[in-house]
Amino acid sequence: MNYQPSDFLPIFVQLAAAMGFIVFTMIVTHILGPRRSTKLKDEAFECGIESQGDARTPISIKYFLVAILFVLFDIEIVFMYPWAVNFKQLSWTGFWEMAVFMGLLLAGFVYVIKKGILKWEK
Amino acid sequence: MTPVIALSLFGIINLFLGFTFKRQSLQVVTLLFIICSMALTAMDWNHEYLWFGDMMKTNNLSINFSLIIQLAGLLVVAFSNGFGKDEVYTQPAEYYAILLFSLVGALLMVSFQNLIMLFVGLEILSVAMYVLTGSDKRNLRSNEAALKYFLMGSFATGFLLFGIALVYGSTRSLYISGILYNLSHTAPESLPSFLYAGIILMGIGLLFKISAAPFHFWTPDVYEGAPTIFTMFMSTVVKTAGFAAIYHILDVTFGGFQKNWIITVYFITIITLILGNISAAYQQSAKRMLAFSSISHAGYMLLTVCANQPSTSSNILYYSLAYTLATAVSFAVLMVVAEYQTGRTEKPENFDALNGLAKNNPSLAFAFTVALLSLAGIPLTAGFWGKFFVFTDMFNKNLTYPIIIAVLMSAVGIYYYFKGIISVYFNSGEIEKIETSFLFKIALWSACIGTLVLGIYPTLLKSIF
Repeated sequence: MNYQPSDFLPIFVQLAAAMGFIVFTMIVTHILGPRRSTKLKDEAFECGIESQGDARTPISIKYFLVAILFVLFDIEIVFMYPWAVNFKQLSWTGFWEMAVFMGLLLAGFVYVIKKGILKWEK
Repeated sequence: MTPVIALSLFGIINLFLGFTFKRQSLQVVTLLFIICSMALTAMDWNHEYLWFGDMMKTNNLSINFSLIIQLAGLLVVAFSNGFGKDEVYTQPAEYYAILLFSLVGALLMVSFQNLIMLFVGLEILSVAMYVLTGSDKRNLRSNEAALKYFLMGSFATGFLLFGIALVYGSTRSLYISGILYNLSHTAPESLPSFLYAGIILMGIGLLFKISAAPFHFWTPDVYEGAPTIFTMFMSTVVKTAGFAAIYHILDVTFGGFQKNWIITVYFITIITLILGNISAAYQQSAKRMLAFSSISHAGYMLLTVCANQPSTSSNILYYSLAYTLATAVSFAVLMVVAEYQTGRTEKPENFDALNGLAKNNPSLAFAFTVALLSLAGIPLTAGFWGKFFVFTDMFNKNLTYPIIIAVLMSAVGIYYYFKGIISVYFNSGEIEKIETSFLFKIALWSACIGTLVLGIYPTLLKSIF
């Protein structure tokens, strides 16, 4: 099938509509909205309580580790989907290759647990 | 490619051994692992195999490169001493595992047949190096070096990838054989011009990794910030693997297009030689001097890539081996002296910290001297023959001006290498006897003897290469 440049016109219309909506709402809210600024209003919002300290406080590394582990295993599980779709064509070769992949993943998981990354009370 | 699989498995095993083993036994185990994979590498000698869907090819050249790389890994592990006694902030099992994984990357880089494999190998090697550079977590310098290396390195990888994309776009293949086939079956004038841009961009990506000027700015800071043992690894393994890849790309694959890249690479070679050597002469810190010396040696090795003679591959091999042995020894001696001097002097990695080493540590001083002489290219050491072969290559190609510059620059090199020798032997200072482990001594002496033997009988290895 041959596409002409004109076939992509709807995309540009969509793009223009999306951009136009943003520009329109930003301008309109600036014009229409009343502006009464007080000292309290200009503060960074923090659940209605007075804000305390700096935003740059050290946070426990455990949050980061859990987040990165989630991303890691999540992404690697995504590889299961193409395998599932092509399960029959790939047959045993695909199965063994996937077994190696899952084996490596499991080894990593065991390592993570043994390293005590999921231990919270320490 | 059995060593690739073996080293990957060994790395994973190493991670788990870390839960039960002590650091000294981990070191021995890692040494055995590397020796084992060296044996696996050597078993393919005189055979040509294609691996992983024809994406890798092992032949004698790639085996030679693999062996040199693994030898460098072996030396680094032997010098590492289990990474000291700091139980809380050093993780020897992880460091050794990452070293093994990065060796996998280096092996992919020396035997690739597909540009994707080159990219994967380069990334495995580089990401491992970023981690190891920042492994001294509480040292600000190390953190800075890791971040700098990571940002610049990923940028350079972007260049490489862009180059691969352009080459793929113009030759319709990622396989080296496919590229060569398509290039030979297309008239030169009908080749798209972005092929040449692709070649140069790939060259830039790889030249960054071997720290050729003007892509060398990361080198001194990263080499200085990283823990010395990993600097040793970086300057030996990464450089050898990088040169194998550059040779494979520029000389083997695009050797027919030499007139398109040669001017660029000449220019880069000459400024690498001048910048590396002149800046090294100004350094107060011995570690920084070795970083600049690694830049200048990249320049010498690029000379033979420029010449593109039949002997180029064996000359790169010989030079890499000579350079690996000498650099490993000089960094090792510097490392133990700096460890001793930490807390005693303000800058434990400066030349001043080496003052008077020869008085109570004659063997360390002798090894250091042999290594520096080899780096300077004094006869009877391996470095002399490395330079000799490179210059011969250039001479056969009638490239006189680069030789003149290279010879002048090796004269500058003698000045700053001898600064180290002078502070070891002639300056007075108080250094007590430094205790080193058994493995350290063995590695030091075998590398030293290797340098001397290669210097006296260069034909010994030249007949194999």
